[in-house]
Amino acid sequence: MKIIDLKIKEKVYKNKKTQLSILNNLNLEVNVGEKIAIVGESGVGKSSLLNIIGLLDRDYDGEYTLFGLPTINLHTSELAKWRNEKIGFVLQESALINSLTIEDNIKLPLLYADSRKKEFNSKDFESIINAIDIQHILKKKPLECSGGEKARAVFARGIIMKPQIILADEPTASLDIENRKRIINLLFKMNKEFNTTIITVTHDLEIANRHDRVIHLERRK
Amino acid sequence: MKIFKFIISKIFLRKAILGISMILLLCMANYTTFTATRSILSTYQGYQETKYINQNGVYIANLDPDSYIDMDVITKDRTQVVYEYLNNNFNYAFYTDGFVVTIPNIDNMEISLSYINEEYYKLNQFELSQGENLDFDYQLDNEIPVLIGKGLSKTYPVGSTIEIEESVLGRPITLKVQGVLKQNAYHSNYYALNSKTYYNFSILVPVNEEFINNANIDLQLNGLMDLTILDTTNEKIINLSEILKENLGLEFNFFSQKENYDYFNEYYIHSLKIIAITTLILLIVITCISIWNALVSIRLMLKDFTINFLVGLSYSKLRKIFYSYFGILSCINLTVIFIFTAFNRYGCWLRKDASFATYGLFGLIGIDWLALFVVILSDIIIGIVIIENMLRKIKKVPISLGVLQ
Repeated sequence: MKIIDLKIKEKVYKNKKTQLSILNNLNLEVNVGEKIAIVGESGVGKSSLLNIIGLLDRDYDGEYTLFGLPTINLHTSELAKWRNEKIGFVLQESALINSLTIEDNIKLPLLYADSRKKEFNSKDFESIINAIDIQHILKKKPLECSGGEKARAVFARGIIMKPQIILADEPTASLDIENRKRIINLLFKMNKEFNTTIITVTHDLEIANRHDRVIHLERRK
Repeated sequence: MKIFKFIISKIFLRKAILGISMILLLCMANYTTFTATRSILSTYQGYQETKYINQNGVYIANLDPDSYIDMDVITKDRTQVVYEYLNNNFNYAFYTDGFVVTIPNIDNMEISLSYINEEYYKLNQFELSQGENLDFDYQLDNEIPVLIGKGLSKTYPVGSTIEIEESVLGRPITLKVQGVLKQNAYHSNYYALNSKTYYNFSILVPVNEEFINNANIDLQLNGLMDLTILDTTNEKIINLSEILKENLGLEFNFFSQKENYDYFNEYYIHSLKIIAITTLILLIVITCISIWNALVSIRLMLKDFTINFLVGLSYSKLRKIFYSYFGILSCINLTVIFIFTAFNRYGCWLRKDASFATYGLFGLIGIDWLALFVVILSDIIIGIVIIENMLRKIKKVPISLGVLQ
């Protein structure tokens, strides 16, 4: 069953002097529960593609149907609701609010969830932090934690709402081998247990090859 | 509410200095708007009240500030001569106040007596809340019909009498309450239109020729200081000046209608414009500094905002939060101004300052409420400008970039 149907003619970045066209004539279809890795050179548009899939960017020429609905007509508040409930972002470890504790950072999506879902996910909080072994840093601020601990906290925040899609943008880029394995295993565990669709942007071919499908993005020639 | 509390406390107020500076800037803008508006409204009221003097043939007596006053030379005979000359040759409006008398009243205020003649009464169109208009055709030996301020109306209802030891007549007289002036009736200063005294604890005593003739020199001399001569000519005014100089040794300036008109235009209309323009410029400057302050805040908190966008915050929700936050700041400032103004007004009651004691909803009088309303309007405009600029700045940065800032 198709969960993502994306057709991009072109995504253009402009500044005062130059303009850069990427993701030309890209078609992407993803089924529920599929694990996809996106690889390619720097600047080829991997993160831009992830932003489009994650409803963070609508400034492109193309059509996008998500969960069977065209996204073009969705109001920004509807997009925000989907980002909250249906899409989980697992980014690099720097994507935490430094003034909040790790616990508050992880629980941030619950703040925007409706009350029924909030209650349900609060119960899962304990099991998630136990699974990724970050009980000891919950009361700490991000600046007091190591890179691996922060990466796990970002991961916990990305999955706390039990999203249908997890978008992981270089989640292991600055981690050591042990932490890298840990994060990827957690991602795949989500996929196995909840049939969550995983889309990972990575430079690491070893990690990419563990996915069901690897998409190579290339620069237009 | 939870989201609002979170965004404000954990993100917006995290940099306390930025939050405090926003409150202070808004406070400055509000206080400037409030005082300027109240000053303009008060001046406008004064201008309306004294409009009648801007007519052909009207001259206002004004003691020359350089004139040497030798009180030993001025006697009752001399002032009497002046009044006889006035009565025979002119139609004039007589007003003098500041004569204090102590009579029982529930607020224990000292009561001010204001003396007015029929011409002055006709020109000023006093509005009454109860009773009837003044009657100037009375005998001094009988009861004198008077108007009283609202503050005295409970102790002295219409029809009641007040026995006083009249200082200007030098004997006891009986005043009969003919009517009650409307709440906060006032008298503006001819030469400082935004300054006024209120009649809430005053008694307006009608004076006729017999009263003036029997009054002491204080009333007669004070009455000359603000005398308004009506329907006259320049030649007659020159003659009057000579009579005054000859009998009292005082030099009076009599300003004509044109001079008055020019005076008002030069000093008041012009000063109103200056106040309005200065306030407007100040408001624009404060708004610009506030926008800059808000944009600095956004720049410092961009990552925090965008992480919130990533996990479910929407632009429309953030807009509501910003407007609610600004609304709260505005309410805090309005409350401070309200308390400050009410306390000032209440201070007149505490000091038993009868000339400035006023009545109003929660202690504030009409022009205070109008000025507060203008402050609310200006806050709405400032709020829209600041918030929409903040949102424009936030929207300009893609969420994905903001997170990785």
